[in-house]
Amino acid sequence: MNSYIDILFWIRQKKWLLIALVYGMFMHHVVTPPPDLNPAAFDALIIISMALILIITEPLPLPAIAMFMLFMQVVLGIDSANNVASSFMNDAVFFIMGSLMLAVAIVSQGLDKRLALGIITLTGHKTWRIVAGFTAISAILASFIGEHTVAAMMMPVGLTLVRYAHKDPRKVAGLTAALLFSIAYGATIGSIGTPSGGGRNVIMMNYWAEFGAGSVTYLEWIKYVYPMVLFQIPITVFILLWTFKPEHSNLDSAVRKLVVDVARAGKIKGREWLAIFLFILVFLGWVFLSEDFGLGIIALLGVFLYLSFGLVEWQELNRKTNWGVILLFGAAISIGIQMNQTGAAEWIAHVIITSLGNVIDNPAVLQGSVSVLLTGVMSNILSSSATVAVVGPIVLDLGGDQILIGFATAIASAFGYFTAVAAPACTIIYSSGLVKSKDFLRAGWKMGVLSLVSLLGLSLLWWPLL
Amino acid sequence: MTKTNTPFDPKSLKFLTAVSSAEYSKPTLKMGALIASVFDASHGVVYVGERASEFHGSSVNLTRQNLDNWNIIHPGLEVLEWALQELKALSPDNEELAKIQFNPDHVYEEDGRVRVILPDDKGCRIELVLREGELVDQLRKEIQLEGYDLAIIGGSQNKRHLAHSILQYLPASVFVLQKFNPQKKYKLLLLVDDSSATSKSIEWGAMIAEKLGWPVRTLTVSKTKRFGAGYQGAADKAKAYFDSRGIEVEQFFLTGDPVRTFVEFAGDNHFVIMGASTLNPVKQFLFGSKPIQTLKQTDVPIVIVR
Repeated sequence: MNSYIDILFWIRQKKWLLIALVYGMFMHHVVTPPPDLNPAAFDALIIISMALILIITEPLPLPAIAMFMLFMQVVLGIDSANNVASSFMNDAVFFIMGSLMLAVAIVSQGLDKRLALGIITLTGHKTWRIVAGFTAISAILASFIGEHTVAAMMMPVGLTLVRYAHKDPRKVAGLTAALLFSIAYGATIGSIGTPSGGGRNVIMMNYWAEFGAGSVTYLEWIKYVYPMVLFQIPITVFILLWTFKPEHSNLDSAVRKLVVDVARAGKIKGREWLAIFLFILVFLGWVFLSEDFGLGIIALLGVFLYLSFGLVEWQELNRKTNWGVILLFGAAISIGIQMNQTGAAEWIAHVIITSLGNVIDNPAVLQGSVSVLLTGVMSNILSSSATVAVVGPIVLDLGGDQILIGFATAIASAFGYFTAVAAPACTIIYSSGLVKSKDFLRAGWKMGVLSLVSLLGLSLLWWPLL
Repeated sequence: MTKTNTPFDPKSLKFLTAVSSAEYSKPTLKMGALIASVFDASHGVVYVGERASEFHGSSVNLTRQNLDNWNIIHPGLEVLEWALQELKALSPDNEELAKIQFNPDHVYEEDGRVRVILPDDKGCRIELVLREGELVDQLRKEIQLEGYDLAIIGGSQNKRHLAHSILQYLPASVFVLQKFNPQKKYKLLLLVDDSSATSKSIEWGAMIAEKLGWPVRTLTVSKTKRFGAGYQGAADKAKAYFDSRGIEVEQFFLTGDPVRTFVEFAGDNHFVIMGASTLNPVKQFLFGSKPIQTLKQTDVPIVIVR
């Protein structure tokens, strides 16, 4: 009797795995590939659609999904084991690995207290200025050190202010939401600013190289995208204050308590200066050496330096780094490369262009709209980086300027304002239990409109000048 | 599951109350504490929070560890701290319980859960546990790990679509506090039939009625006009058991669709106790069962005894 219940419970928990397997077997054994799609490309599409089902519904741990994507490529005869292995590891995966470890190394230095003091010194006590300061600092820092690192450092500052403003943060829900969303949305809009702002940017750079679209340097990326970051900061502040209407216009007492709190940390120590110096070195490496060495290798070099100077222990890095995500991105990029090599990406792009060609006459508008909308919608369901890994090969085959389409896609992958799952910064503030799903919708649609308009303005007014 | 139909030793019973927040879980915790004291059972309190998407799980963990440095504790631990204070307030005479202090730094991560280490908890038999993930999955794991006999779940957590999973997969008796009002004096309604689970539910009903002083009614429903020997025998056995413990009981015999009759009779002023289904799990999975349908359709507190 018990074993029956165990089996039924297993079915309940793994139903999406079973659905994905049945779907995969049906597609592979029953459905005939379209005549203009070769069998290997068809199988690549089956693997990626099965992986999408598994990633969204999470019946398996992420590393298991990564392994599934890898062995299925060999089992279905898409490529040899050695080729799959070599497509699995590349500079984008090195970068994701390095940036996740750098996040642990930086957060563990306790620099957040310095950051808090710096922000408060700049903004003063007025609520709107604090929200503006949080948004701007989160955006600018996230551009360089990644949104997850910034959100992890800023969250304690925001929550401490809220708790000093009121013992029960739920009683000041507007203030709480405004401060926490200024961190999350600030970090999200900033993450598009440079290649190191998010793994998805580096994944796109990797696809440009794979597709022979050319290369973009760190500074060129900034030149193309940073104006959008700067444009969005003030409007994001306005949207947050308009949507959440903080209960207090002045946080005088909370700020004073926070200053007392952070002052206990004393003067900045040599170890902290060293941590900052090492990050500046990494940043300079990304700016000036990434064309020769790759962003990922420089990130790993940074991790090596942090370990060498004893700023972080390997055990801590090992424990706090999400190895499952690294494996998953390696596998997703590997299947993305297969989509390109087998012609699957080109086939989907062709189907999209043919289907929508009658609706939108202008090819450039069609390519831009499809890449932005497809990426924007998927990034709210999946995660932003996974979306670029999956959608990247397709949008680059839509035609038109692959660099500009790639930029539009990488930018649109940051439009995950509507749910807590898209961006790490959004998940982090959601985990506080103080913001609700509907808060993401309330502010998210306004942010979505802002970002779409900003991207349109950037592509029509700024990019033609470059 | 293994304890079905065996006379139970109240001293060895373990009850688990699932709480979600200080705002919504107060009646659930109060009833959990009361029922645990009625049975002199040890009492676990579990908070099941949402689990972050695995994509960003490490970023969330990194943030939480950083929050610890600022003395901001995990939202789930805040709920458990509140639960401990509530338990103390509910038992002001319990000196052992009063000594227990909550320290968010004293937690132990094991088997995919976080257990709060409570010093000086000898004699109180309190357990505070934090879990993250899907409610039924996490409750099942906790029950299997600690061998709980009864899971107490608030009505807000009993979304009707979960009724099936709660009853089918939790390997313990289940008490769902739907629209439970701690101030209200309920009548205890025991659903009696010829199934093997009835005898244990009679024992549970008698203990609750004795301690809370609630009037007891038994209800036996037959689909046909005729009540067979099994049904009549079960009702007589229930009456005899209550009589032997000096508890007055009113007996009702009705005909009709069992679930609809239970629900209509229960109205809004009964506290229902019924035995778990003895149907084959696969049949339950496919067609449901009387307890599952009753739980789905009624709005009163209900204990399903396994």
